[in-house]
Amino acid sequence: MRLPPFQFLEPTNVEEALSMMNARKETLKIMAGGTDLLNRMRFRLIEPAFVMNIGKLRDVDGIDIGENETVIGTNTKLKDIARSPLINNKFRAIAEAAFEAASPAVTNMATIGGNILQDTRCLYYNQSGMVLNGLERCHKRGGTICLAVKGGKRCFSVCQSDMAPALIAFDAKCVLQKKGSTRTVALTELFTGNGVTPFAIGADELLTKIIIPQPKNGVGSAYRKLRLRGSVDYPLASAAAFVSVTKDGEVNACRVVLGSAGASPRVIDGRSCETHLESIAQKAYDSAEGIDNLQMPGAYRRKMAGVLAKRAIKAAMDRLKEGM
Amino acid sequence: MSEMKKTAITLNVNNETHDIIAYPNKTLLEALRDDLRLTGTKESCGEGVCGSCTVLLDGAPVRSCLTLAVAVQGKKITTIEGLRVGEKLHPVQEAFVNHHAIQCGFCSPGMILTAYALLKENPTPTETEIRRAISGNICRCTGYAKIVEAIKSLAEEGK
Ligand SMILES: Cc1cc2nc3c(=O)[nH]c(=O)nc-3n(C[C@H](O)[C@H](O)[C@H](O)COP(=O)(O)OP(=O)(O)OC[C@H]3O[C@@H](n4cnc5c(N)ncnc54)[C@H](O)[C@@H]3O)c2cc1C
Ligand code: FES
Ligand code: FES
Repeated sequence: MRLPPFQFLEPTNVEEALSMMNARKETLKIMAGGTDLLNRMRFRLIEPAFVMNIGKLRDVDGIDIGENETVIGTNTKLKDIARSPLINNKFRAIAEAAFEAASPAVTNMATIGGNILQDTRCLYYNQSGMVLNGLERCHKRGGTICLAVKGGKRCFSVCQSDMAPALIAFDAKCVLQKKGSTRTVALTELFTGNGVTPFAIGADELLTKIIIPQPKNGVGSAYRKLRLRGSVDYPLASAAAFVSVTKDGEVNACRVVLGSAGASPRVIDGRSCETHLESIAQKAYDSAEGIDNLQMPGAYRRKMAGVLAKRAIKAAMDRLKEGM
Repeated sequence: MSEMKKTAITLNVNNETHDIIAYPNKTLLEALRDDLRLTGTKESCGEGVCGSCTVLLDGAPVRSCLTLAVAVQGKKITTIEGLRVGEKLHPVQEAFVNHHAIQCGFCSPGMILTAYALLKENPTPTETEIRRAISGNICRCTGYAKIVEAIKSLAEEGK
C-alpha cells in the first residue's frame, strides 16, 4: 500500500525543528524511526501535510549517565538501550523492555521517544481503509461509538509501549521543547488516559530527552511481557517492577507499572512487596482494563496483568538480593 | 491533502550512486524495486512484521518498507544483489544453498542479509544468538532448522 502524499522536511538542529513545528502546528507530524508513524499513514489513519524527519538532529541521541541522573536523548535507538551495559546494570527493567520490544531489525530503527509517543492501538482502529470502510466510525475516528465495548461512551484503545511502563517504574521525567520555552514533566503527566488524544503534548512541542533519576541505595527491577509471538509482537499485557531498599535492607518502595492495560500505563504503589505479593497482583488485576480489542481475549490479558506483576516483582527482588 | 513535489534523491546502493526523481512518500523498498529494478528485496506484509524487505543501512538490518527513500540519502544501503563477490555467491548465500535453507526463496534475501550482518558483528555466534538475530525474519516454508544450520556452519568456520 502506498503512503499518502506529504511534503518532507528535514531540520538539522533542534532550533530549526522547533521553528518548522511552530509554523505548521497540527499539519506537521514528526518522524523519528517512522516505524509507528508510517504504518498509520499507510492505513490512512493520519494524513499529515508535512512529515518532519528528526533523524538528523544533533544532541538528542545517546545515553549520558551522570551521578544524579541518566539522560537518554529522544532519538536513541531501542537497540542501543537494550545493549548498553550501564542501562542493563542500573536500570534492568528499561533494558529488558527495549530488548523485548518488536524485533531486532525494528529496534535498529525505533527510537525511545517514538516508542513513548506511539499512538494507542485497537483491533477496530488499526486496520486498512478496506476494513474500516465497512465499520461505523468509532470515537478515535471522530465518531460517537466504541466498536470494542458495546455502548462504550469513551475510547478503550490501548497504550502498547514497552518503554513507558519501565521508564515510569524508575520515576522518569521528560523534557519538552517548543519555540521559546522548555518544560520538564513527569513521564506520567505525558499521558492523558484518553484513548482519542492519549498525549498531553502540544503540536509544536518536541520531546528531546528522557531523564531517569539515580535511585538511592539498593534497587532491583524487572520487566515482564505477554505477547503472541516471542519474536515480533506488541505487548498484550506487561508489568515493570521497581523495588528499592534502605541502607538496612528494608524495602521502602515497591512500584509496579502496567503496560497494555488501558490508554496509559497504570501505576501501582506498594511499600513492602514480599508480604503483599498477592495484594499487588490483585491490584494489578483490578487496575487493568481487560477489553477484547487486542489479539488475545481481554479477560485473559487482565488475569495476566496480575501474574506478570508478581513475576516482575519476584525477579526484581531476586536481583536485589543478588546485589544488582 | 498537501501539494507534493518530486525531488531528486541520491542513494548509495551496493557502493554505487543512483539518482532518482521521486515523490517524498516513496519508501526505500519502492525505490529499490521500481526505480533501481533491484527486485531481490521483497515485499510481503508491508508493515514491518515479516522481514522480507530487509536491507542493510550502514551495515544494520532495517525494514525498507518502513523507511523513506528521501530520508536515507548519504547512508550506505546494501541489498542482496550487493553481496555476491564478482560472479560468485557470497559464503552466506552458498551456505544457504548447501544446507537446503531455501524453498520458495521469498524470505531468503532478508534472512541472508540478517545473517550476514550478524556474522560481521559476531563471527562466532551461539545458536541462541543466531535465533535471536533472525527472530524478526519470518519463513513460511523452509522452517528455521535448516536456516539455523546454515548460519551455524559459518559460525563454526568463523566466516
Ligand atoms: C512489527 C512491529 C512490531 C512492534 N512491536 C512493538 C513492541 O513490541 N513494543 C512496542 O513498544 N512497540 C512496538 N512497535 C511500535 C514501534 O515500532 C515502536 O514503538 C517504536 O519505538 C516507535 O519509534 P519510532 O522512532 O519508529 O517512532 P515514529 O514512528 O517515528 O513516531 C511515533 C510517534 O511519536 C511521535 N514522535 C516521535 N518522536 C517524537 C519527538 N521527539 N517529539 C514528539 N513526537 C515524537 C511521532 O510523531 C509519531 O506520532 C512495533 C512496530 C512494528 C512495525
Ligand atoms: S514487507 Fe517489510 S517487514 Fe514485511
Ligand atoms: S523459503 Fe519460503 S518463506 Fe522462507
